[in-house]
Amino acid sequence: MKQFLMKQTFMKLSTGHPAQLVIGLTVWCVWFVAVYGGLSVACELAAPEPNRGAFNTISLTLIVLTVLTVLWLAWGAWTCWQSTTDEVDSTERQTPFIARVSAGLYAVAALAALIVVWPLLMLPPCL
Amino acid sequence: MTGTVETSKFVRELNRVWANLPGWGSLSAVNHSTIGLRFMVTGMVFFLIGGILAMLVRTQLALPEQDLISAELYNQAFTMHGTVMMFLFAIPVLEGLAIYLIPKMIGARDLVFPRISALGYYCYLFGGIIILSSLFLGIAPDSGWFMYTPLSSSVFSPGPGSDFWLLGITFVEISAMAAGIELTVSILRTRAPGMTLSRMPIFCWYILAMALMIVFGFPPLILASILLELERAAGMPFFDVAAGGDPLLWQHLFWLFGHPEVYIIFLPAAGIVSTLIPVFSGRPLVGYRWIVLSIILTGFISFGLWVHHMFTVGIPQLAQAFFSVASMMVAVPTAIQVFAWLATLWMGKVVFRLPMLWIMGFLVIFVCGGLTGVMLALVPFNWQVHDTHFVVAHMHYVLVGGMFFPLMAGLYYWLPLVSGRMLSERMGRWGFWLTFIGFNTTFLLMHLTGLLGMPRRVYTYEAGLGWDWLNLLSSIGGFIMAAGVAMVLLDLLLHYRFGRKATSNPWQADTLEWALDKPPAPYNFVSLPRIQSRSPLWDDPELGERLQAGEGSLVSIEHGRRETWGTDAVTGEPSEICHLPTNSWWPLMAAGALALVCVSLLMRWYPVAILGAVLAALPLFRWSWENGGHPSAAPLTPNDVEDELPLESRTLDGPGRWGMIITLLADGALYLSLLFGWFYLWTAAPQWSAPDDGPLSIWGLVLSGALLTLASLRFRQQARRLARGDEIGVQSGLWQATALGALHVLSLIAVLWVAPLAITDNAYDAVLFFMLLFLLFHSALAVIITALQAWRIKLGYVSARLPYEPQVVWPFWLYTTGIFWVSVALFVFLPMAWGAST
Repeated sequence: MKQFLMKQTFMKLSTGHPAQLVIGLTVWCVWFVAVYGGLSVACELAAPEPNRGAFNTISLTLIVLTVLTVLWLAWGAWTCWQSTTDEVDSTERQTPFIARVSAGLYAVAALAALIVVWPLLMLPPCL
Repeated sequence: MTGTVETSKFVRELNRVWANLPGWGSLSAVNHSTIGLRFMVTGMVFFLIGGILAMLVRTQLALPEQDLISAELYNQAFTMHGTVMMFLFAIPVLEGLAIYLIPKMIGARDLVFPRISALGYYCYLFGGIIILSSLFLGIAPDSGWFMYTPLSSSVFSPGPGSDFWLLGITFVEISAMAAGIELTVSILRTRAPGMTLSRMPIFCWYILAMALMIVFGFPPLILASILLELERAAGMPFFDVAAGGDPLLWQHLFWLFGHPEVYIIFLPAAGIVSTLIPVFSGRPLVGYRWIVLSIILTGFISFGLWVHHMFTVGIPQLAQAFFSVASMMVAVPTAIQVFAWLATLWMGKVVFRLPMLWIMGFLVIFVCGGLTGVMLALVPFNWQVHDTHFVVAHMHYVLVGGMFFPLMAGLYYWLPLVSGRMLSERMGRWGFWLTFIGFNTTFLLMHLTGLLGMPRRVYTYEAGLGWDWLNLLSSIGGFIMAAGVAMVLLDLLLHYRFGRKATSNPWQADTLEWALDKPPAPYNFVSLPRIQSRSPLWDDPELGERLQAGEGSLVSIEHGRRETWGTDAVTGEPSEICHLPTNSWWPLMAAGALALVCVSLLMRWYPVAILGAVLAALPLFRWSWENGGHPSAAPLTPNDVEDELPLESRTLDGPGRWGMIITLLADGALYLSLLFGWFYLWTAAPQWSAPDDGPLSIWGLVLSGALLTLASLRFRQQARRLARGDEIGVQSGLWQATALGALHVLSLIAVLWVAPLAITDNAYDAVLFFMLLFLLFHSALAVIITALQAWRIKLGYVSARLPYEPQVVWPFWLYTTGIFWVSVALFVFLPMAWGAST
């Protein structure tokens, strides 16, 4: 549902809209809080046995959430970047600038999520 | 709109309208140049006090087993040194610089909320005096500038030191928030015509990011300070483990503010670097777009690092790993900027004038600080050096290198604009080299002292541990640095009399502030420019003369108002005329009353504090009264200009509305911090307990929320009606909204009254109580401002032709209703559904 709502919001805005400059990283922040907070709450409610290693319900759930977020961010980056190669109305001088910077920010947000989540593959969650 | 004018008569009239009042009347000044300079001068005074405290600390540590000062005084000295430098020097000076420069750089006549600038300054001044007074009374806080609980709680700090810190800092934070909000809106909404986002001076991007970071970063500390003060003064146990609280909650809230704070300080300083390097390289900045990207990236990622200050407190391994990785990641955007600076230097022809010398010093020191930052982001290394002088050294490399050196570069660069005179190249070089050598002697060696195991915050140490010579040299370095700073100050003072006259654009700079007179007139520009590129003065070196000759736009002053363009946030095209307030005593009166609140809370004179709060509210409401169509502002006239762009008060979406929304974002950040605290205590506090049945009346809350929702909808209906140009029945509609809102407030008070909350016994009830007070405050404010709107309609200050103010107030109703229902859902229903006591 959250992904769907974000997609709807994203699609309503043109790629030259200044909100694009912050959407990608805002999603990254929400994802970060969800992963960190979700981990804390999940460990409080149902901590898995440490000897089960990195593969358990909590880790898998967080990884799936991450993959979905990364895919959405990558799609945002692609859409913004594509729009910069389109014919641009000369009166809309902002569009290439905002869209290009936004494409970079979406891409970095996706990368940042991938990099931060890496320890999930190696560490058991509730130690 | 555009054209030449009878310059001399017009300029005389401009001077009359924009001048500060003479003598004591200058205390009513709201002009951004005056306020910006006051911020900077006051900040420099605080800096000197903080520096003297540092010298005291270094003198004490110079030799082993020294007893120059007692442990108690030492604790106060290092606490106050950190507090003064972080809260009373670094942020306010940079804000002052931004307040002074931003309108000049974006081609505006002033900031968009000048009275808020003045209020911010007085809050800063009074807050600073309150905090420092504790030092002179010998009762200063002594728990470190981060005031960790339980050390700062009443058990371990029973004196008033912590109270001075908490109340004073909260007071100063109001100032920071004010600057954050108004800089954001000013940059977005009052740029010169044609200054699109992509043509904005790079400094403005940095300040925009800083301002927004303040908006989101400071509320957690404000909340934490309020909670700790409530714990100390009223016994509400938010941080007391035995009663279900957790001292680590303080650390989380503090560092949620504290880590972004580092970047709030660094970003404007980096903005100075990005502004100066192109000027002294004689070519545009390489990678403007990459730098914008890295600024935004830094602004976000720096919020995801706070836990790296808490690696040793028992955070789960996986969480530590997340924050460790995020901490290393933040080096990437910083590196992008460093490489862009190096590329600009590489491709340009660098002129090594004094500002560049300080920039080179910055590059060396800050890169070293960044490298030790990456080291500290590694958890095992962090564990080894935690709370040693290594961390102190790293922090100073980042903050002094990252802020002080660029600030000095900026001082040498922009002071000729302020004074019209150049500083001494020779004294400046002495000042630089003494500071640079002294700084590195002090802190480079301190890394080694830390690696050898010397803990921070100890007032003395035994001889023979290998720390003796390092500490002695560090102290000598400290005094060399102090000599360098003294040299700079001497140069600064002498140049006003002996400095040679500055030419019109002494550094051959490209940004608009150099198109102004030296010193600039209070209105900045006689006429406002149209911008075609990022480097207007390089494209058109005569631009300044032409603007001063009135060849730009907005060249009307017969109305006697202070005005500047309101422009589109993206394209920079004019959309309205912003009417800016003139000299006003309300900010000083409001800040004075707030200072009374602060002092009376310190003295535990609670009735006086309530009186002070009322006294503060009166000028604030009166201030809001003198707006829009009020006779002293811009009342409607029979020939209200139709062919020019409308005044802000005749529109539906002026900068004031943006100001309200940004304020609500800050308020929302505070509310989210409260939610974080609630969930944190729920999941992490060792003794957290809550009853299965909550103490609040569900039906009472639902009824209260229904009344609030109805009031909110009623208000929205009236605002929409005015926007459509229909004013019939709006006044009675607003009175109805007021009445419904008042009923909601009464019902909420009743819910609070009958709830069996034991607020001093357990953290659960204390949090619920605070949450209800938070809701009540917003609801009561919504009711009062709606009543004022209804009254203004009666007096003709709001109407179909003046529909603006309800559009400003509506987001407040929406927000108030939103937080009410979110609170009911998360503080009441969710615990019930999940089993509160788990």
